[in-house]
Amino acid sequence: MVVTTSNLSVRYGAFTALQDVTCQIPEGCIGLLGPNGAGKTTLLKVLLGFIKPSSGTAAVLGVTLGSGERKIRQMLGYMPEQDCHIPGLSAVQFVAFAGELAGLPSGQALRRSHEVLEYCGLGEARYRLVESYSTGMKQRIKLAQALVHGPRLLLLDEPTNGLDPLGREEMLELVRSVSHEKGVSVIVSSHLLPDIERTCDEVVVVSGGRMRAQGLISDLKKIAGQPVDVELREPVEGFLAACSSRGLQLMGQEHARFRFQGLDRPDTTSRAVLESARASGAQVRRLVPAERSLEEAILEAVNG
Amino acid sequence: MADSVGDLSYRGYFGNTLSERGRWLVVAKQSWKTAFKKRGFWVASSFGAWYFIVLAAILYFVEQSVTMDPTGNGAERFYSQMVWKDQFLIGFTFAQLMCLVLVLIVGAGSIANDNRTNALLVYLSKPVSKLDYLFGKWMGVLVPLVVGLGLPLAFFYTYCLMNFRERGFLEQDPWLGPKLIAVVLFAAAYHSTLILGVSSLFNSGRVAGGAYAAVTFVTGFFSQLMLAVFFQSPPESSRPGIVSSGALHYLSVDGLVVGMSKIVLGTDGGNAFTVARGSRQVPIPPAWMIFGLMALAIALAWAVASWRVKAVEVVK
Repeated sequence: MVVTTSNLSVRYGAFTALQDVTCQIPEGCIGLLGPNGAGKTTLLKVLLGFIKPSSGTAAVLGVTLGSGERKIRQMLGYMPEQDCHIPGLSAVQFVAFAGELAGLPSGQALRRSHEVLEYCGLGEARYRLVESYSTGMKQRIKLAQALVHGPRLLLLDEPTNGLDPLGREEMLELVRSVSHEKGVSVIVSSHLLPDIERTCDEVVVVSGGRMRAQGLISDLKKIAGQPVDVELREPVEGFLAACSSRGLQLMGQEHARFRFQGLDRPDTTSRAVLESARASGAQVRRLVPAERSLEEAILEAVNG
Repeated sequence: MADSVGDLSYRGYFGNTLSERGRWLVVAKQSWKTAFKKRGFWVASSFGAWYFIVLAAILYFVEQSVTMDPTGNGAERFYSQMVWKDQFLIGFTFAQLMCLVLVLIVGAGSIANDNRTNALLVYLSKPVSKLDYLFGKWMGVLVPLVVGLGLPLAFFYTYCLMNFRERGFLEQDPWLGPKLIAVVLFAAAYHSTLILGVSSLFNSGRVAGGAYAAVTFVTGFFSQLMLAVFFQSPPESSRPGIVSSGALHYLSVDGLVVGMSKIVLGTDGGNAFTVARGSRQVPIPPAWMIFGLMALAIALAWAVASWRVKAVEVVK
């Protein structure tokens, strides 16, 4: 587990930002999902040691919060939501400086600065002042400064904030590359479901300061009862009757697409559909387990 | 982008890392690089040396006149009246305006610019504590100030040491060198802490600099007012009070530095080269008052900076 929290609560006076959050975040690329003001950034800041929890405990990469924030931050990389840079520095100087802050010897920091900037697609612009960068470039340099010291865990707070469609695609590609090809665990905080779906395997859903759901995206999208979606080449009279006679219950229909409630086992359901199609002379184009969209899953989790 | 070529360029870092204790030095070094690169810093430091340059030129001509006057009486009389530490005090006092310029150049943006660009998130998300950051920033201002303020003094001290040892330069006050170092260190430490406190309150170096300059000028105006009151009062007042003692003259940002210099050097500067001997001077202030006020200002500024430095985002 990269992060473990137990009954974690954060209060700002009378306002409760996080309440009794208990979760275990495994290695890989994890999405921290929730609407604006859900408590995502607060959770990240607690993990970084910026905010002391009012109650509860948390451990990052095996180190308990309160016993070694420096050690935790040595193993973490943080990409904040807002623009941030050191004024007056070029990109290569800025990222090298970030490396030195993380304890890298200056020579190593400079070498890695060049490498990371190349990796983040800023190789051509590395000698330009960061102030002169476009929004997309500023997002990338935030990622570069978070990566320079080779962290084991990256915390990305709204990484696609303010990006145009192309820049967003490129940033998501980078995030996926870091997590799936470079072996760095990543926690992506975002309220944009497509971004999370594109990059993450698992999500933690937070809303109103509480944890609402956690699990693999594929599991969250599953519908209770294991229904199946069937698509025929064209509607055939008698197909529905054949299905009904085999115990399949129709849940919905749209032209030649049908959703049936599953039987006791998925393979039994599939066999019943195919037998019904053969009996009624229908051509099956698609037969897949039915699933809902991530949005539906999250809305259900958030609204209870 | 993370294409096939770019992919080869990134890998984890498994090399050695430097001790956590030295992280403040990384912060300080960055500030030093920025400060020493500024042309204005060197110009202000040079302007701060004007009194010493003029004095060195005069001393040079006096020395030359010895060769033209076979008796040498004029030069002897001149040197017998010379109080060396007073020259340093007066030169240092005249340099206070340039000291303000140096402080603004080096320190005004030190935290304010970081506030503006959310740089604190970069610093504090790394294994750098708030104390590392503040101490690094403080050293980042202190060292350039020591250099900027100390260079003119070092120049004149070296000049005198090389040319006027036989004229009683060392004999008059053998501890003058260490005293000058102490003066520069105290002044630099005081200004560095004050400017850090002010800088932390703003999101723009220029605004922070303006605020610091405003406080300096307003308190300086008060100081000059108190100076006028002091000179208006009879020299030996029958009712000596805080106003007629001249102590209020030191109640300004640079007044405290001047007072501290007088205490450390042990002179009121009454034997100035340019001032007739025996002219009335503001007496040396009580040490407890000057050092107490300086300590209070430093503690307050440090507390403000410490309170303001947080890893929070400035949402624009």
